[in-house]
Amino acid sequence: MSTDGDGSIKVVPVRHVGRWVGVAAALVVVAMIVHTLLSRLPTGQRACQGTGASRVCHAVTEWRFSWDIVFRYFTTSEILHGLLVTLELTVIAMVVGIVLGMILAVMRLSPNRVLSGSAWTYTWFFRGTPVLVQLLVWFNIAILYPRISLGIPFTAVAFLTVHTNTVFTPLEAACVALGLNEAAYMSEIARAGLLSVDEGQVEAATSIGMVRRQTLRYVVMPQAMRVIIPPTGNEVISMLKTSSLASVIGVIELLGAATNIYSANYEIMPLLLTASLWYLVVTTVLSIGQFYLERHFGRGALRTPPPTPLQRMRRDLAGIVAKFPNRRGLAGAVER
Amino acid sequence: MSVSAPPLMVEAIGVRKHFAGVEVLKGVDLKVGRGEVACLIGPSGSGKSTFLRCINHLEKHDAGELLVDGQLVGYELRNAKLYERSDRQICAERARIGMVFQRFNLFQHLTVLENITLGQEKVLKVKDDAARARARELLDRVGLAGRDGYYPAQLSGGQQQRVAIARALAMDPKLMLFDEPTSALDPELVGEVLDVMRDLARSGMTMIVVTHEMGFAREAANTVYFLDAGVIEEWGDPREVLTHPTSPRLQNFLSKVL
Repeated sequence: MSTDGDGSIKVVPVRHVGRWVGVAAALVVVAMIVHTLLSRLPTGQRACQGTGASRVCHAVTEWRFSWDIVFRYFTTSEILHGLLVTLELTVIAMVVGIVLGMILAVMRLSPNRVLSGSAWTYTWFFRGTPVLVQLLVWFNIAILYPRISLGIPFTAVAFLTVHTNTVFTPLEAACVALGLNEAAYMSEIARAGLLSVDEGQVEAATSIGMVRRQTLRYVVMPQAMRVIIPPTGNEVISMLKTSSLASVIGVIELLGAATNIYSANYEIMPLLLTASLWYLVVTTVLSIGQFYLERHFGRGALRTPPPTPLQRMRRDLAGIVAKFPNRRGLAGAVER
Repeated sequence: MSVSAPPLMVEAIGVRKHFAGVEVLKGVDLKVGRGEVACLIGPSGSGKSTFLRCINHLEKHDAGELLVDGQLVGYELRNAKLYERSDRQICAERARIGMVFQRFNLFQHLTVLENITLGQEKVLKVKDDAARARARELLDRVGLAGRDGYYPAQLSGGQQQRVAIARALAMDPKLMLFDEPTSALDPELVGEVLDVMRDLARSGMTMIVVTHEMGFAREAANTVYFLDAGVIEEWGDPREVLTHPTSPRLQNFLSKVL
């Protein structure tokens, strides 16, 4: 057996042929994508410079993906306003969804049949009908209930009565529709989280005299969060994009703003790309946030928490540097 | 019940319990005085754990009388009628009965210190500083001083169980229940937990211990109860019961575990 100076074994690593073929194929596809994204097409016009013999002409080209137009609209006030409405819709719908979903999950797990049955029925209904239909129903709710009253049920007593259309704008209808729909999904996620906590934890909390509510709040919920957070992050990202459906009922959010602009100037693709890029930017930010939330609620679950991307990058870099032990200059520079 | 003598800590008279048609406890009688240590031994499935869980009302017994500190567990006798106690009342009573589980059941998301302060702060409404001080004192007592910031997953089984004992003691219990506290431990870790329990017994804590550790039962218990198929088959002084068993079933059981 041959060893290095410091005693570690010198080996020839196994060659992973299949892996290399896969890498090559992936690189080709990536190259094709980059090429088409950055490709330019001739417009059919020619541009010429100079006069007489020094006159030079060349074909005029433009970006296939019209990047110039995409970025021209990227920060216009209409698009930014639409983005703000999208964020507002997402946040409100998710808050409604998470709070109501938690309540529904706790109800669903209640030993009382009426409570668990109501929660089940809610989920059955709101998960069983398309969200677009629900949006349209809430938008047109004034047809069913022209007035909303606050009073005693089943009597004529009303303390406050308002016209539905005056308080229920399209944006509010969208918040209600998306929020109530989301609650149905969130309740299932929360229920899975609550069930994932070991029964022994509940028994231990009970044995030190905690009432059900305290047990739920201080012992079960924090541990359920570890299971609830990842799919909830998924739901937030999904909601960000589902909120674009609100454009159907006249809410001018990100997609609504883009369609408004392209219906006037016919730059359909560039504006769809503008909206898509913004959705991607927000999704990226949300994903980063989700990572740190997961890390926070994973406390105690693992002996060593996973490294943050920054820590991992530093470790990878140190690994690469370590592969060139003789190049003192490089290794020394990074270590310092 | 006589007026002069303080009531027994635990008194069970004909306690019965069944799960889905299977009778697990078929009339258990038991008396544990203040400061006494009782060990429950018996084959698995004999109802030891179920009986223990009835004492702090984690399980409801179906028939018979069960009194802790002279009070009925889970019920109240008024005008010759039994009234179910409210959850709040039951929880308040439970807070004074410490319980240690086979699988430790430490709160995984909390540090060692937080495990011990949680009950004090939320149930007993002790101030944060006082709760921390008490927790540190108890950690020292179970031999884990300085482990405040560790999470349960970072401790060995024996250490976790000692934290669990400290967590129960933090509630200032008048009675401690141990449900096979050493059964989930590696053999070399059993000793450290039993040492803590021995100290506790010496300090005058009333304890009911479900255990397979016959050595511990012999030296620490005032009374040993042999539970088999839902009834107390034999009971008495541990030296007597464990060395000269009279019932054939206890003889058979001891021949297997000793």
